[in-house]
Amino acid sequence: MPAMVSAAQPVQRSFNPYTENGGTILAIAGADFSVIAGDTRQSEGYSIQTRYAPKVFRLTDKAVLAVNGFAADGNMFVKKVRQRLEWYRHAHAKDMPIRAIARLIQTMLYARRFFPFYVYNILGGIEEDGTGAVYSFDLLIYFKNQTPAPGTAFPKHLPLSTVLPLVIDSFTSATERHIEVGDGLEIYIVLSKGSTALQSLQTIRGIQELTATNDGERVFVIRRELKKD
Amino acid sequence: MDHFPTNWGRPRNDAFDAYGTYPIHQRPQNGPKDAFVDGVQRTQQPIVTGTSVLAIKFKDGIMMAADTLASYGSLARFKDVQRLFPVGDNTVIGAGGDMSDFQHIQTLLDGLTIDEFTAQDGHTLGPAEIHEYLAQVMYARRSKMNPLWNALLVGGVKDGKKFLAFVDLLGTTYSASTLATGYGAHIAQPLLRKAVEGYENVLTEEQALKIIETNMKYQVAIITEEGVRISESKTLDTHWSFAEGIRGYGAQAQ
Amino acid sequence: MFLTRSEYDRGVNTFSPEGRLFQVEYAIEAIKLGSTTVGIRTPEGVVLAVEKRVQSPLLESNSIEKIMEIDTHLGCAMSGLTADARTMIDHARVTAQNHAFTYDERIKVESVTQAVCDLALRFGESVHDEEAMMSRPFGVALLIAGIDELGPQLYHTDPSGTFVRYDAKAIGSGSEAAQSELQDKWHRQMTLREAQLLTLNVLKQVMEEKLDQHNVQLAQVTPKGFEILDEASLKEVIEAM
Repeated sequence: MPAMVSAAQPVQRSFNPYTENGGTILAIAGADFSVIAGDTRQSEGYSIQTRYAPKVFRLTDKAVLAVNGFAADGNMFVKKVRQRLEWYRHAHAKDMPIRAIARLIQTMLYARRFFPFYVYNILGGIEEDGTGAVYSFDLLIYFKNQTPAPGTAFPKHLPLSTVLPLVIDSFTSATERHIEVGDGLEIYIVLSKGSTALQSLQTIRGIQELTATNDGERVFVIRRELKKD
Repeated sequence: MDHFPTNWGRPRNDAFDAYGTYPIHQRPQNGPKDAFVDGVQRTQQPIVTGTSVLAIKFKDGIMMAADTLASYGSLARFKDVQRLFPVGDNTVIGAGGDMSDFQHIQTLLDGLTIDEFTAQDGHTLGPAEIHEYLAQVMYARRSKMNPLWNALLVGGVKDGKKFLAFVDLLGTTYSASTLATGYGAHIAQPLLRKAVEGYENVLTEEQALKIIETNMKYQVAIITEEGVRISESKTLDTHWSFAEGIRGYGAQAQ
Repeated sequence: MFLTRSEYDRGVNTFSPEGRLFQVEYAIEAIKLGSTTVGIRTPEGVVLAVEKRVQSPLLESNSIEKIMEIDTHLGCAMSGLTADARTMIDHARVTAQNHAFTYDERIKVESVTQAVCDLALRFGESVHDEEAMMSRPFGVALLIAGIDELGPQLYHTDPSGTFVRYDAKAIGSGSEAAQSELQDKWHRQMTLREAQLLTLNVLKQVMEEKLDQHNVQLAQVTPKGFEILDEASLKEVIEAM
């Protein structure tokens, strides 16, 4: 009788150090820009914990990081990445380039392979050659870079003016279809030095500039409401 | 040779890797070792528990409320337990979950307050600092697989700024104009949101108290610029006569 | 200068009342006994040249190694107690590799120089339960050459852990004469070829033996990377002098 056996056996109750806090992040790289977006709802199961918990963070004027998964790990991870960026700045007298940040994140995630950060990261920004870049990570290891195939250029039919409505529509749809998505939307835009997309940003309602240096790259954020039900 | 300068010896700093090397945590352990680590048991479940804490923002500050029951499983074991705890002049924390772990947190915060006081450096801990501290403690403990089994609300006012935030045994944090732990998160939170969201800077203390009391609580803490006021345990009138008419509730013949 | 010996020249970590660390100063003196080493920075790259003292006709001159690679974009020439340089270059190599591993980029010349200097002043230190890492200062000076995003650079390090950037620098026994020669001849728009010839000319003037492809070594860091000139290329440069 299996039921008796299991009742006689001591039950190991164990603490689960993880949870899942929902939400969605995305990023799109263009020829000379990068767009990184995320909703602002934080939830656990059917409960909304808060309507505003940012998942997208400006790291430098060239890099923006979006984190999704277990919120406590996500916040701690961003904190640790920022600490490493500052140490790097002190040791090497420059901002860490995005490719170096991508590799750093990979080594930081892999260093925790036996007790992973339960976070999915997307890193967007501008490479040192001025092209838009997106790196994505799984829990532990490798990263993939969305770059044009060798010998081809970035899709010119996806200018920033097309990408922004696409991002907003994607989140509106996700909000309709998925209970974990909603409340608010934050869209970060990173422009490379002298990007022509700058004009199209001027007319956008409520756009806010977050640029901190005079290196030429510029960072903006657009905030929008999403449905709250 | 060990090529990580952080392992080289004095002067060194265990928190900061001045040399920008990696991985910084790989460092020889020179401190005393506990021979009995394998024999130590960690909290895997809460024992004596408190449940909901509610908190809202209002015009002049934060209002927080908790009942005073601490249960032992389904037994109502302790009926007058204070689950709201003032820290310094500007902050109150409210706790759900394991009460002994909460008492440990109170000890930690008392120590922190004393350290801060004895420094006499003109700094005082505000609600944001206390919340950050608790978040680090809770996250560190969960990462050692030895959690403090609580959900905590931290509320306060400092330098004209209202602060209200949550942290739990996993180290999860968030901030909102209404917060609730335990069952309150499921039952009271929607009602609180309806009453408070958008009115955080309009609601008077009386109105806020009314909102809190409709959600049935025993002890209330009010934190404003003037300081912390925590009420005595209050009893609310409850009406359970309607239960008589409900089939399937209580002892019934049929 | 060092005639008045006192108890202060014993401890490596003891300042004299005049504020001097004698052991460090003695270590700097040790470099002045070393063979002459020259480095020149040009817009095209950095050139390093060393004199090899071939004390015996039976000595295999190509076994004297005074220029070493740190990374593909970094090279290093030494003067003084060359055995000490192994520890330093070993550390520089690991630091450069570690940087490449963690950040997927080449380490900057200044950063790797800083790493070597961090090690250089760790003498005489120990922590409870740990052995002291080093008992005395290094007796060697380095010329670290490299190219990074800031262009070609040449750094000089000494046993005190101090480092300075130079356009052209000579160290070792003939350094005084060599340095004044460099001061005369160096100019901003120097080509790599001119720098090669200048280093050898400078060495020629301070060397006791007649300079040939067996008693000097020449290396360069260009955008293509670090390279030690092989005997044929070296011979070709010497003939062009």
